[in-house]
Amino acid sequence: MNVKQLRYIAFALVAAAFCSCQKDPSTSDLHRDYLVYTAHDSGTDFSAIDTYYLPDSILVIGNSDQTEYWKDEDALTIIDAIAGGMNDAGYTRSDDKTAANVGLQLSYVRQETYFVGYNNPYWWWYYPYYWAPGYWGNWAGWHYPYSVYYAYTAGSLLVEMLNLEAEQDNGRKLPVVWDTFIGGLLTSDAELNLQRTVEGVEQAFAQSPYLVK
Amino acid sequence: MKTSKYFKTLAFCVVMLAASLPGKAQVFPNTYLNIDWQMGVPLGDDFADKTSGWGMNFEGGYFVSPAITVGPFISYQTNLQDIDRQTLDLGDGAALTTNQKHALFQLPFGVTSRYNWLTDSVFQPYVGMKIGACYAEMSSYYYIVRQYSESWGFYMSPEVGVSIFPRPDYRMGFHVAIYYSYATNSSDVLVYKINNINNFGIRVGVSF
Repeated sequence: MNVKQLRYIAFALVAAAFCSCQKDPSTSDLHRDYLVYTAHDSGTDFSAIDTYYLPDSILVIGNSDQTEYWKDEDALTIIDAIAGGMNDAGYTRSDDKTAANVGLQLSYVRQETYFVGYNNPYWWWYYPYYWAPGYWGNWAGWHYPYSVYYAYTAGSLLVEMLNLEAEQDNGRKLPVVWDTFIGGLLTSDAELNLQRTVEGVEQAFAQSPYLVK
Repeated sequence: MKTSKYFKTLAFCVVMLAASLPGKAQVFPNTYLNIDWQMGVPLGDDFADKTSGWGMNFEGGYFVSPAITVGPFISYQTNLQDIDRQTLDLGDGAALTTNQKHALFQLPFGVTSRYNWLTDSVFQPYVGMKIGACYAEMSSYYYIVRQYSESWGFYMSPEVGVSIFPRPDYRMGFHVAIYYSYATNSSDVLVYKINNINNFGIRVGVSF
């Protein structure tokens, strides 16, 4: 072996080295499972809540230029899972949103629209058909009284609990006191998607032990 | 991220320059140059504990005496670990249930020194010590997210090895070494923390 041959070996080693310098792990199997994130306002006494209002449809975040709701049997199965979690926690579903202590709004990301993070928690300002605060009362907008972190992609469910007893009028904002983000719900199998979503909802309640009457 | 790219580019240029010089047994008089594949075994680290061959080491040295060399080095290593689905308490009322992949990337560089024996023979054993700085990235991959933190620390690494020159008068051959490394990097991601990075491993490569 001469110097020239050794240099070829060196070249090959260097090329291999720099092609693979910082090894990223394969993330393909991360998508075989769903993610559940929950956060809440530590200043809220969840044991003081008696009643909740839950709409019978899920708002769809997609590319439609007008408000779109998801209301079929699959949507009702998801809504029932939310209601089941709330009922198991000791809360009572109310048909009158003006009388309920809290409201729950469900949104499903069908198509990726906006990235949301600590720097941009008010993403709905850029999505004109998101749950309008006027749906719940005379609030000027929303706010999270705590840090939130989401990375939305298609196949995500967002559930937000709103304090409907918060003061209204005079430009006050409606506080979100609990939220869950469930991601990784979109596969090619519709039945699996629904099963994952329901499991994700159950996990959201399981990891929120403070939601108890 | 930018820092590691800078060092990679610098190391690449140095090695390419050396490799492009005219054919001689030593690229510079009274020097040596090593390019090694590196396998690292994490010690006492439960963030990324898998043994990994994703590492390289580049070093050179000048014979300040017939037995002692001093020169620069740069190396890198990535160790990985799969984390099963679990619920993490993120603090401030937040929780996250997910599976993850962890990666710990280390990029130490600095000065290396060796004491060599039998420098006229086929097998030339040595003991060495590397001292310098260590840049590290601690990453958690989950869902579509890579969450990571960067850190810097002091680095030291004793090493025992042998350079093998089939023709001792013609300095081109192979290199095998075992090493231990310690870095003072401290960092955290999600609920995971590391305080100091310890490894041992082997290096196998070519030597000029």
